[in-house]
Amino acid sequence: MEISVPVQKATVVPKPFIRLMRLLARTLYDDNNLTTLSDNQKKSAKGDSRGNIVMVLDALMRRQWVREEDLASDLKKNSKQVRKILRHFEEEHLVTRYQRKETAKRAKIYNVAVAATAHGREVDNVKLHTQSYCCLDYQHMYDTARLRLQNIKRKLKDELEDKYTLQKYGCPHCNRKYSALDALRLISMEDDAFHCERCNGVLVVECDKLSSKEAVDGGDNAKRRQRQRLQFAEALMDQINRVKDIPFPVYESFPEWEARAAMDARENGDFNTNDPFGSQGVNGSTPMPYLGETKVEVNLRDGKEDGVPSSKPMPQWMIRQGMNLTKEQRGEISQEEKVGGVSEGEVLLSDDNKPSAMGNDNDTYLKETYYAALLQQLEAAQKMNQQESTPDIQSATTCSDRQVGMKSKREDEEDAECEEGAHVSANGAGVEEEEEEEDDGVEWEEG
Amino acid sequence: MFFHIVLERNMQLHPRFFGRNLRENLVSKLMKDVEGTCSGRHGFVVAITGIESVGKGLIRDGTAFVTFPVKYQCVVFRPFKGEILEAVVTLVNKMGFFAEAGPVQIFVSKHLIPDDMEFQAGDMPNYTTSDGSVKIQKECEVRLKIIGTRVDATEIFCVGTIKDDFLGVINDPAAAA
Ligand SMILES: [Zn+2]
Repeated sequence: MEISVPVQKATVVPKPFIRLMRLLARTLYDDNNLTTLSDNQKKSAKGDSRGNIVMVLDALMRRQWVREEDLASDLKKNSKQVRKILRHFEEEHLVTRYQRKETAKRAKIYNVAVAATAHGREVDNVKLHTQSYCCLDYQHMYDTARLRLQNIKRKLKDELEDKYTLQKYGCPHCNRKYSALDALRLISMEDDAFHCERCNGVLVVECDKLSSKEAVDGGDNAKRRQRQRLQFAEALMDQINRVKDIPFPVYESFPEWEARAAMDARENGDFNTNDPFGSQGVNGSTPMPYLGETKVEVNLRDGKEDGVPSSKPMPQWMIRQGMNLTKEQRGEISQEEKVGGVSEGEVLLSDDNKPSAMGNDNDTYLKETYYAALLQQLEAAQKMNQQESTPDIQSATTCSDRQVGMKSKREDEEDAECEEGAHVSANGAGVEEEEEEEDDGVEWEEG
Repeated sequence: MFFHIVLERNMQLHPRFFGRNLRENLVSKLMKDVEGTCSGRHGFVVAITGIESVGKGLIRDGTAFVTFPVKYQCVVFRPFKGEILEAVVTLVNKMGFFAEAGPVQIFVSKHLIPDDMEFQAGDMPNYTTSDGSVKIQKECEVRLKIIGTRVDATEIFCVGTIKDDFLGVINDPAAAA
């Protein structure tokens, strides 16, 4: 099989996107009706603990394409469980998945690709069956976010106008409460009023109204829920506004990514760090004894490597706030990592490659990941306002600028539609066109 | 919403119904027993449309009755939250009004009736707009939206609203007469 795709530089994800992604993932584990998930979706999401979902999402944000099995083993999790979570992500349009039947040769290409980005290990005994790969889908995620926001807004509005609230009735004598659902039992044929079942007193209409769902639930949490939903809507809106003018981070389609990563490996002969995730090699680089003998059969049509970084990235722990470094020296990832507003130490803790390299204790690792993620969420909320998003915009555009020349080479690729969007956003122009696409997305979701 | 489904029921039949017409007897008893009943799970059984199978009868110890497992197709009606129904008003009072859509009873409380409609007591209690152009009273037909259902083992009761676009009176026989 011949793959001919242009080489693309890896994409740096601006931090507002990451925050938005986190927000959306929250809807998967918050059981209350922050959003308008269907019952089915709710049910399927319920099985997963919050910790697992946060962990998988966090891991995904540090990777591009990853084989789902590898992700599971990196997280030291049951692959079934991880796949289940990924499926939910897919349902929520947070993740793109790619599946194919794998031969030994293809698997090897992937392994080289993985090694090139320095994460994941060589798996020697690859079986010849369907493999699935996954990758975050920021563009689609943005559409989902807008749809979700609209749904919440509508719901809040309905509640405000109490269009869908059940009338409550109370007995002035014995204080017993009823709702409109009891009407049939309460109605008396002698007069027009509702009568208490216990003391036969005439019921009066109560003023505080609850939505029908909450009345069924018992109504205790009504206020809390409404407040939460409002907060969520605000956060979502805030984040959508931040993201609005930033070009989407677009990952290549899986075959492209694989080809590029494999080529990086071949041309550089070492694990190189073009990939934003490459800088993780600093923390624990993966040994690659097989690299020399691997014969990769990827035919890259004069895809020239441009911009091999002149200088090695500095280790994250050496970079300080005031230092005057180029992006390559920072290893680019450093910016992305700071996204959540986390200090370097925490990033190191939650780094996914660390345990596999250092052989950390499983439990400790899980806890660390979970707490780090929690911390990130908390701190992100506080720091979001102070932090400037400009540097991200810059980095995103610089990196996408490099793609522009290469992109025009190919038109016939399968994912033309998705790539089309990438093209637009990568140029940083054609915002209108972008808008159109998004609107389409929303309509389609609703229908 | 209506569904066409297959249900199963164990029918007990007295030996006096045995003989050449056993099957007919079984089916007519099934219709009498099942049609018009309501189960929380499936909703109201509107009509039996066919018999799938009649299993082997089992004589019950101590009695002469025989139990036949019968699988039958039927149309059931199950109201859902969010569903739009057309219903006939059965009772109007100051708390709101009751209406029926086939076997389902629906209550629309006063605050889910448009604000410009006022309750008028009298022989024929009703809700009327200030200009008198729209009137909700007994026997008139309304289109409403279910906002809540109460499902018990043998009963389904709904709460509805007419406070939304395209809801409300669709036909008033009293006005036409
Ligand atoms: Zn009472």
